[in-house]
Amino acid sequence: MIEIFLDIIILFCIYAIITLSLNLQHGYTGIFNLGLYFPILVGAMITAYVPGRLAMLLYGIDSRLDYSYNNPTVIDILKNRLIDDPIISITLLFVTVFITIIVCYVLGYLTAYPALKLPADYLALFMLCLSESTRVIGMQTDWLTGGVFGIMVINPFWWLGQNSYYGLSIFIIIATLCVCLIINKVCMSPLGRLLKGIRENELTAECVGKDVKKVKRQVLSFAFVILGLAGVLHAFWMGAVVAGGYTRVDFSYWPWLMMIVGGAGNNLGVLFGAFILVLIRRAMIVSKHAFSFLPFSVVWLEPILLALMLMATLMFRPEGILPERPQSIRDYMKKVLKLES
Amino acid sequence: MIALQILLTALIYSFILSLLAMGFTLQYITLNVPNLAYSSIAFFCTYLTLTFSILKFSPYTSLPFAFVLGGTISFLLFKFLKLLKEKGMSIVGLMMATIVFDLLLYAGMNIYSDYLARNLQIYTASFSLVEFDFKILGLPGILFISAGTCLSLVILFTLLLFKTKFGIAMRAAVENYALASTQGIDVDRIVGIAWFFVGGVAGISGALYPLWFSMDPWVGARMFITIFAACILGGIKSVYGSIVGGSIIAFSEIFLSYFLSFFFPWVWSYRSVISMIVAAVSLVKMPEGFAGYISKVRKGG
Repeated sequence: MIEIFLDIIILFCIYAIITLSLNLQHGYTGIFNLGLYFPILVGAMITAYVPGRLAMLLYGIDSRLDYSYNNPTVIDILKNRLIDDPIISITLLFVTVFITIIVCYVLGYLTAYPALKLPADYLALFMLCLSESTRVIGMQTDWLTGGVFGIMVINPFWWLGQNSYYGLSIFIIIATLCVCLIINKVCMSPLGRLLKGIRENELTAECVGKDVKKVKRQVLSFAFVILGLAGVLHAFWMGAVVAGGYTRVDFSYWPWLMMIVGGAGNNLGVLFGAFILVLIRRAMIVSKHAFSFLPFSVVWLEPILLALMLMATLMFRPEGILPERPQSIRDYMKKVLKLES
Repeated sequence: MIALQILLTALIYSFILSLLAMGFTLQYITLNVPNLAYSSIAFFCTYLTLTFSILKFSPYTSLPFAFVLGGTISFLLFKFLKLLKEKGMSIVGLMMATIVFDLLLYAGMNIYSDYLARNLQIYTASFSLVEFDFKILGLPGILFISAGTCLSLVILFTLLLFKTKFGIAMRAAVENYALASTQGIDVDRIVGIAWFFVGGVAGISGALYPLWFSMDPWVGARMFITIFAACILGGIKSVYGSIVGGSIIAFSEIFLSYFLSFFFPWVWSYRSVISMIVAAVSLVKMPEGFAGYISKVRKGG
């Protein structure tokens, strides 16, 4: 029972990170990004490539063994070493996170240059092209992600023995809380209001001297970092990286639905949307035996559910369950200008 | 022999892709919404060809049915988008609405595929219907049928657009939706018929696809980017440009990767990335595509 509960919590955490990042991009800044799984996949690829090979190097494991082609053997050897080495394990975890932050920030910055020149619909499709290309590359590149069969990754909490599962879970929960706090801080700051200003009218923001392109570039780079982090956490959680599994339905359309259902522009609403949908998805999987009378696999009910919920939300409550609340001038004066009414 | 197979593949692919690209462009310019469900509509109709083959009919019998099925789905999507547009939905909301149909069709394909596998023991996770095709002079029938369909639909479309009142009304609606309405044109009816026609063309393209290529329920998702690349390269606002774009993408994806694979054997595995790179580069460097470039040259720009 506790495993199911924890599974829901962790899945919620990963989707919360992705959806909050999406909310920062679209809900606050108005950047229409349909290719969320590009940085997520990059984060997962770094997790597939870096920690295992670094550990092999640190422990001087037989160089004739290739991490990708002899993956099960290497993972077995590494497990035996890392089980007694918490320092190296944690170092590998943080090195992976650090490299992901750097790579995703650079990628976000480079992507933003051409992408932000495009109108909303073209931008969405451009990001989709990038993501799909990365997925195909991941699926075809054996040395990077094990090709279509995927690759196993280390667990940085093997040193906790039987409790490694709980150790990783706690790490993911703490990381999610940190991301929530940081994003909320950004959104509540004057920068958050600038982002909303840009979303509402870019021209007006430019007229009052704001460098809209620069701000959007920074938002996209920051969002890429957050999404990359989600990719790292997801890869460690799954214990493997299968590039083909990072589809636009799971890692782009679901987060969009979570944001739309919860309420774009409202972080609390977005978290609520993520929680509700993760719960529904997991409930469907857990109760799949109840659908055994169906002449097809129950997993295909998931996209139907997603479609119907999206349709209902767009038609009846396009602003979401917890819509964005406009901030009153009185609150603004109190919080920003530190003035008493 | 291999070179002939490659040439045939490139030709058939270019005819099918050109048809798909033409349809995507036409839908885009009539409603200004990229239809993310477009390739799923096309490849949903592929299962009609499979069904007709299972029932021992010629796979080509499915073409009129695929036209009607594709057209109907496309028309329903148009009605849904129109409803949301009237509610003041933004472009983002409208694109998300097309995703609704994409997901329903994706699930539908997989459910039907599962059903056939479980109840008829037919492996449909990946299939090809090449053996059901006929041959003329040793060449596959699909080559002639796809070429004939592509050319006849382009001619039909041109006649429709330039020689009929409907075509004039449609061009007016594309140029200026509001102004066309004030001139007494029933714009919604015109655009609705256009979406039906385009959906039908997509249905036919999808129905022809498994007669040469391997089909699985994920083809729609993969092909969307290729169709989009063809449209962008040709010019997303030009129907004829997208046909040219479709041919270029098809030949570059098949031929370029084939010849490059002589020197770099690994290139063949990454051939689908070529169209994605072309799409991304065209979007940034030449967002109006070849059609925009040609019109700029004509104007002396």
